[in-house]
Amino acid sequence: MQIRRLKTGGCIDRSKPIYFSFNNRLLDGYEGDTLASALLANNVSLVARSIKYHRPRGIISAGLEEPCALVACADEHGMMIPNLKTTEARLNKGLTARSQNCWPFVELDIGALLQMGSALLAVGFYYKTFMWPKDWWHRVYEKFIRRAAGQGRVTYDADKRLYDKKYAHCDTLVIGSGPTGIEAALSAAESGVSVILIEQDCVIGGSVLWEKTSTDSLTTIKLKQYKNLRFMVNTLAFGQYDHGLILAVEQNKKNVESIFWRIRAKSIVFATGATEQPLVFPGNDRPGIMLAAAVRQYIYRYAVIPGKRAFLAIADQQERELTEKALQVAGVEIVGSLGEGDQITGTSGWHRLRKVHLLNKKSISCDLICVSNGWISNAQLSAQMGDKQTFATSLEQRPNPQQHTGSAKAFVDLQNDVTRDDLALAVREGYSHIELAKRYTTVGMGTDQGKTSWPNAIVELERLSAQDSSRVGLTTFRPPVSPVSFGALVGVETGQRMVPIRRTPFHNAFEKAGCVFQTTGDWLYSRYFRVGKESMNDAILREVSAVRTSVGCVDMSTLGKVDVKGRDALEFLSRVYCNNIDGIKPGRLRYVLMLREDGILYDDGTVAQLADNHFLVTLTSANAGQSWRWLNKLLQLPWPDLDVQLTPVSDHWASLAIAGPQSRNLLADLNPNFEIDKTSFPFASVKQGLLDDDTPCRVFTVSFSGELSYEINVPAGFADQLFKRVLDKGAAYDISPYGLETLDALRIEKGHISVGTEIDGRTTAADLGLGKMVSTRKAFIGSSLLQRPVLQQPDRMQLVGLIPADGSSTIPAAAHLTDAPWQVGKTQTPLGRLTATVHSPTLGHSIALALLERGPQRINQKLWAVSPVEDKSVEVLVVGNCFYDVEGSRLHE
Amino acid sequence: MLLIPCPNCGERDEIEFDYGGRAIQYPALNNSMSDWHMVLHQRDNSTETIEEFWYHQSGCECWFKVTRNLNTHEFES
Ligand SMILES: [Zn+2]
Repeated sequence: MQIRRLKTGGCIDRSKPIYFSFNNRLLDGYEGDTLASALLANNVSLVARSIKYHRPRGIISAGLEEPCALVACADEHGMMIPNLKTTEARLNKGLTARSQNCWPFVELDIGALLQMGSALLAVGFYYKTFMWPKDWWHRVYEKFIRRAAGQGRVTYDADKRLYDKKYAHCDTLVIGSGPTGIEAALSAAESGVSVILIEQDCVIGGSVLWEKTSTDSLTTIKLKQYKNLRFMVNTLAFGQYDHGLILAVEQNKKNVESIFWRIRAKSIVFATGATEQPLVFPGNDRPGIMLAAAVRQYIYRYAVIPGKRAFLAIADQQERELTEKALQVAGVEIVGSLGEGDQITGTSGWHRLRKVHLLNKKSISCDLICVSNGWISNAQLSAQMGDKQTFATSLEQRPNPQQHTGSAKAFVDLQNDVTRDDLALAVREGYSHIELAKRYTTVGMGTDQGKTSWPNAIVELERLSAQDSSRVGLTTFRPPVSPVSFGALVGVETGQRMVPIRRTPFHNAFEKAGCVFQTTGDWLYSRYFRVGKESMNDAILREVSAVRTSVGCVDMSTLGKVDVKGRDALEFLSRVYCNNIDGIKPGRLRYVLMLREDGILYDDGTVAQLADNHFLVTLTSANAGQSWRWLNKLLQLPWPDLDVQLTPVSDHWASLAIAGPQSRNLLADLNPNFEIDKTSFPFASVKQGLLDDDTPCRVFTVSFSGELSYEINVPAGFADQLFKRVLDKGAAYDISPYGLETLDALRIEKGHISVGTEIDGRTTAADLGLGKMVSTRKAFIGSSLLQRPVLQQPDRMQLVGLIPADGSSTIPAAAHLTDAPWQVGKTQTPLGRLTATVHSPTLGHSIALALLERGPQRINQKLWAVSPVEDKSVEVLVVGNCFYDVEGSRLHE
Repeated sequence: MLLIPCPNCGERDEIEFDYGGRAIQYPALNNSMSDWHMVLHQRDNSTETIEEFWYHQSGCECWFKVTRNLNTHEFES
């Protein structure tokens, strides 16, 4: 029953009633209501309980500044959204809201209690039962209460609502659609520039809405005349960033929960209005104490009677007159007004204000106190970029009212329950600067961002510390101006949409072949291929055996590929790579190393010469993006004079390597239109042509496995066809496709280095036994700083291989190398660290690669691989870093 | 979020760019170890302006040098 609703007036539509539920009570309101105005219309004054003292709280304001009346609302999926301001939540059909900071039993019992006739009893139950006896608080109640503490509760369920993001640009952005904002938007639009006007409220108008009795519909019509003016309501500008960027959230949309806007404007007009400040006096938190302008807003905009008997505590005369007029319109009796020099010493009432007590011992019976302690400009957005002046000015212009003293708590921050006594304590402890007092007492740190608390806190701190405002200072304003949900900020980038998944051209064909995938970097890459119900280990054994004895095939498409052309292409590559590559001939390729500017090893790959002044460079998959960026940087910044064109062709090619003693026979079965015998197509070569099904191809003789190997590159669209033919023709050799696990086992058996394990940002080429590849007769990136003495030290960690001393123990992964077994409590200086370990399918025992101090000099020494994590020590024998076919003869068979 | 002036594309949003670090004057490759050391490792720590490299990664892929005021984030030409 809307017993507190005026018969006429207001910007509500009485022909459209809306039913909603509050604390399981069915209530009604009208279209145009906020939850707050509807609750007041239903004479609900007690809305929430305070965070610390669990005191009854009502509605203080009519806008974003609301510190008290926060509730939890259920969305259409039944998910509870905590901490919504009743003054901000638009009333819509089926809205289900609940008080927060409630004793859980009340929640459970609320239905039964409600049947006894009063929702207020349910709320009061907790206080009456648990506030006394007083000393029980610490001993008994607190531990229960703590469980119910905190502002609202979040759900653990995934958010099912849809959030979107959009961008906008304009010449002039006007924030706020009060009289000033509208004037600014219209005059900007008149001049022809593009204008966006954004308003946080659901209608245009700002203070016009409550200082007059109806919406000025003419304004909206006027705004619509301009094609270059766009206005958005329900849109909160919450952050200002560099170069005219405003972040805003648009809510109350039909199909999405919200739209997160990034608006870039050449100029911004902040017409964000001002916030009326409450008065600090004992008992100033009782439901029924309301900001004067909020009272006017409820009366004029929502046709709600906020009380029956009003007492006025308004310093400013004009403000008082406006409020008196509004109260008369609503038929509210004005029972008194705070006189000059008079003080409010306390209030009484429990769920609702009953009396106000004044200094002269007089008590006045009332259920509404209209308070105003002046206005503070809403300059948060401009202050975020460092402009504190607007705040300082509006603080100075505020009336400096009488201090109200009394025995009851006088709240400065109604959301965080910070009292004047708390601030006094802070000052006594030496925290009189607002930035310190704020952190000590939490004043102004609530979800309301202290909109109604920090100005009073500054005044109180000035008084308490007897310092002027310059010593007390101003707080720092940070986004968001008002809370924004994580969902709005995240948008649709959740779960799998957070990072895009890259799939190679072979993905679909692999899937059909029983491939088990895993993510490596951005890629979803083949891990192993399962046959029947075999385990991963069995699959790896089978795959390795196929490569070592017959033939296997593996996806190499993730390697970065760069096409390098131009008169100076060779010169460019020769500066980038540390190898001597000037002798390279068309049709041949080189294994190459790239160093950083400081001489540390950065990447390895191949350079293949396709024709005169035309090369194809491969980059490690993990470094592909970075290396591309790096090559461009060198070419554009220090060496723009070089005639070189770089083209990224990584995604153009599907690359399948066939590896194993039978790989040449398999290639022959694919029948390319070029010679592939040992002499005409030796190791480290490249040939281009067609396979017999007219698939264009480039074939490289490179090997990561140590076996004879051909890397067949075809345009990406031919991936399915190539894989199918390789499997068909390979069936005669019992071919097995293989994935990352086998690739890794094969490379460790061969002692090949890899980015991220051995190339770890600390090692040089010489450390990894590749010192001979570093040219001494040319300058290249890293050549100068590679000469640093620290990189020449003989005791550097160098690459070696390890095998278990007993020939069978499993070497623990990521272990350290020491000369004694691991013992708890005993300190040991590690001599080195393991970079890779695997159970070698070919050798039948555990092997490892390690970086070891003076490594090559320790070959045949015995050390301990210790893993404190696994609490394991295994004696190992230091060997060379190649475990299989040390001479490399299999590459040339 | 800065608006960064790409020499090819004009002012574009920062999310299109990749930071290229403090701008350096690359020594010749055969310059001495100490030349490279001074350029790479010995930097002044100005509080006023910084010369830096940016890479228009999601745009024209241009590398360029700008001067930015560290107090205001304004780009100086
Ligand atoms: Zn560009």
